[in-house]
Amino acid sequence: MALDALLQPVVLFFLLGALAAFARSDLAIPEAVAKGISLYLMMSIGLRGGGEVAETGFTHDMLLAGGAGLALSFLLPLPAFWLLRTAGKLDRTNAAAVAAHYGSVSVVTFATGSEILRHAGMAPAGFMVAVLAVMETPAIITGLLLARAQGKDSLAPRGGLLHETFLNGSVILLLGSFLIGLVAGKGGMAPIAPVFDVPFRGMLCIFLLDMGLIAARRLMDRRALTVRTAALALLLPLLNGTLGVVLGVELGLDAGSSAALGILAGSASYIAVPAVMRLALPAADPGLYLGMSLAVTFPFNLTIGIGYYGWVAAHVWPLIRG
Amino acid sequence: MTTTTHRRRIEVLADEPLIPVIIRLAAEAGIIHYTLLPTLGGAGAHGRWRDDQLSGATAKVMFLAVTGPEHADAFIDRLAPLLESHHLMLMSSDVEVVRSRKFD
Repeated sequence: MALDALLQPVVLFFLLGALAAFARSDLAIPEAVAKGISLYLMMSIGLRGGGEVAETGFTHDMLLAGGAGLALSFLLPLPAFWLLRTAGKLDRTNAAAVAAHYGSVSVVTFATGSEILRHAGMAPAGFMVAVLAVMETPAIITGLLLARAQGKDSLAPRGGLLHETFLNGSVILLLGSFLIGLVAGKGGMAPIAPVFDVPFRGMLCIFLLDMGLIAARRLMDRRALTVRTAALALLLPLLNGTLGVVLGVELGLDAGSSAALGILAGSASYIAVPAVMRLALPAADPGLYLGMSLAVTFPFNLTIGIGYYGWVAAHVWPLIRG
Repeated sequence: MTTTTHRRRIEVLADEPLIPVIIRLAAEAGIIHYTLLPTLGGAGAHGRWRDDQLSGATAKVMFLAVTGPEHADAFIDRLAPLLESHHLMLMSSDVEVVRSRKFD
């Protein structure tokens, strides 16, 4: 499955973008287009997830997965923080800011992972979209607590921080689209499927081409990254992702949903969390947390992580359990 | 001949999430008129940067205000302690303006 994942057009477009950036090509996707596609992807993911839950109804598995996602997002920053402080030699503020990124999630990693799992016959349950939305923000709270709330030098009003944390655009769009899909159901979704369902993979390809360019260019400007932090950016998704998969299987989720929980746990935010951290912990280095999450962890998950989480969910952990 | 008046031009280059903080500090110093300018990219002490609307965390915005010297000094005093910790760039220059009442 790992090799199969590598040969998917979405991943190949990501690699094309990365190669173009490494070759210093002038290839570029206009920022407004990339921003527009990211909004489209979140709407499409939310709508499709809500539509599927409308079909299956609210299940025991959905509640379990939601609880597991919430717990993971709150707790994953804790071991990450310890590793970043000890092995990564980061100061408290930087370690807390980076740890928050690794407790939160990457929507695009989830979208790509879902497509790859679907292609492999392991489609995750529709309610995993709700789990994705649930996992966006709790890690931010843990990160801020780890940094001893707001840094002394932060001038961000507390109300502004709460607003940014709980009402950031991606959470609103994901949850809102999920609810619209839930209300509309499969019947209501059919007329808008030509816009939000059929072109999804193609749009994801364009977006990942841009992500390849961004990730590779950020890697080339890697002043803030050290060998230690780069190694942790590879280790943290493996540890978190494996924990997510094992938790999913142990809770009785199907292999696809367990793999999706692993993808969520193993991914790192680069949209919602950086904006909040820049405001709340201005002394933390954005080059460090964006370099780790976007330039190292995101490409790793796309090329190796997703295939690995799927393999553990489908073969390894069920075998260990006997 | 058109009459011109001396004013101070203040420019602050900051990451987009910090702009509300800059605006609040400017208002506290009596500067309520300003312009925000988008940027494409550049290079500084922390390396190269580009407009990045994806996360928005490191997309840089230029805050521009033209005001009287008292307001300008008050704003600079408020901002100076944050320049290092918040990675801000602050520029101040003398300008001549027409219709000075627009730049109080």
